Amino acid sequence: MKALIEEWSGEGRLRTLEPGASPWPRGYSLVLQEDTGLELGNPSGASLSILAWGEPSEVCDGRVSLVGPDVAEAGGGSIPFGQVVLVGGEFDNEYDSFRDIRDAVYDTHLDGFSVRTLPSRQTVWCRVSTEAREGGFSLADLGAALIEELKTVEPVSCAEVLFVTSERDDVERLAEPARGAQRVIEAMMKMYQEANFDCETCEYKEVCDSVMDLKKIRDRLAGTIPPSPLREGRGGGE
Amino acid sequence: MILAISGKGGVGKTTIAAVAARALARDGSRRSLIVDADPAGGLAMALGMKPGRTLNDVRKELIHEVKEGARDERDLAVSIDYLLAEALTERGNLALLSIGRPEDAGCYCKVNVILKDAIKGLAARFDETVVDAEAGIEQVNRKVLGSVDYVLLVADTSMKAVRTAETISAVGATMAPGAGFGLLVNRVTDEGQVEQVRAATDLEVVGWVPEDPTVRRFDEEELSFLDLPDCPASDAIDAVLASIL
Ligand SMILES: Nc1ncnc2c1ncn2[C@@H]1O[C@H](COP(=O)(O)OP(=O)(O)OP(=O)(O)O)[C@@H](O)[C@H]1O
Ligand SMILES: [Mg+2]
Repeated sequence: MKALIEEWSGEGRLRTLEPGASPWPRGYSLVLQEDTGLELGNPSGASLSILAWGEPSEVCDGRVSLVGPDVAEAGGGSIPFGQVVLVGGEFDNEYDSFRDIRDAVYDTHLDGFSVRTLPSRQTVWCRVSTEAREGGFSLADLGAALIEELKTVEPVSCAEVLFVTSERDDVERLAEPARGAQRVIEAMMKMYQEANFDCETCEYKEVCDSVMDLKKIRDRLAGTIPPSPLREGRGGGE
Repeated sequence: MILAISGKGGVGKTTIAAVAARALARDGSRRSLIVDADPAGGLAMALGMKPGRTLNDVRKELIHEVKEGARDERDLAVSIDYLLAEALTERGNLALLSIGRPEDAGCYCKVNVILKDAIKGLAARFDETVVDAEAGIEQVNRKVLGSVDYVLLVADTSMKAVRTAETISAVGATMAPGAGFGLLVNRVTDEGQVEQVRAATDLEVVGWVPEDPTVRRFDEEELSFLDLPDCPASDAIDAVLASIL
């Protein structure tokens, strides 16, 4: 991720967006096709969403950067979309913190802007209404709202957001770091959802072993969480 | 407002739902969710709208995700929002959702519960929702009509159809206590038939629709009812809808 950002930055393609004069109003909007001024990350096009957390020193707090056109600069229609959210902080309980951080992203809704997320495909699909677009809605507003919401999560000390709207290939370059982030999250989720600590049968063993935090969680959880009713009789949590 | 159109098989439910969609499309000011709740999927065809993925496809994908075990409830809730949006076929202010044919893959109560909530939530974001229900009382029993505001019962002039409407209303009243019920008599060739129905039932007759060759032609030639010209049947249906919606 870091290398990619440095590359885009070195090519002069990555810019920092200036925050809007005032925060964009919050609100839950359903934006139909006929009211859409710009669509980002349509399911039939390129779309990727990454949520990663780590050391505060690796996060440039409050920064919203963009590779590609902003809402007003895009020609309209449908464009590719990549959204990378980086948060830093002291996370004692990784699972709870992860869920709080993720929920903060899910809870960020802006007026005239609809956003839908499919975690399993790591895609995010947004529509900016014609009215919002004409009213000057910018990705800087979305980034600022995400950061504000993330900062309400207790252990989060800093957050930054990167958007990619340039072209399919650029969004697809996020796929590899996205896969890495996804494996970690899924392994963690699975641990809690299934309470499967039988490392011999778990498909995530490799991920788990290679990520220190996950090993920590696994050790802490083993034996302390009853098997989920949904999974009773499979996996095992004894 | 959520309006469900229900009644015996073959009495004209889909036709009336399609004409309702036409009225909402013409008005253009209200965002409307049109739900094709008949597994056979006639409404999409009547509107000339190509259904994409169905609610059943969404359900299957969610079950898959639950089985994978890597998603919690919140993830499932946002997933379903995404998948439902993807399943909508839009045309102007209309958005069509097709239920599809459920192939049962066991009981996934968790999935069914969030699916039901999500559809409720989706309908709440539209100004109007019109549901073309499956024939008979099956869906009433399955509590699909649980959050419906009004059930428009359709019957042709046969007593059998009127009795089915009565049964649906009786069962529906317990499922959706707040809902209104009204009977629409369809395919009337002689006004005396409407009087006969009125005399034979306690249901409130809210209107009647004449047998109309334009409707028949649009059906036979598989034309989109969104393009139906004004005709006696559409005038009658529009008038009834204006009093309900
Ligand atoms: N007012 C009318 N005038 C002429 N033909 C009509 C009228 N209403 C319905 N029909 C015709 O009756 C037939 C059945 O109508 P429709 O498919 O709407 O019924 P339905 O209740 O949806 O049936 P099903 O239970 O099979 O879904 C169709 O061929 C339709 O064109
Ligand atoms: Mg039908």
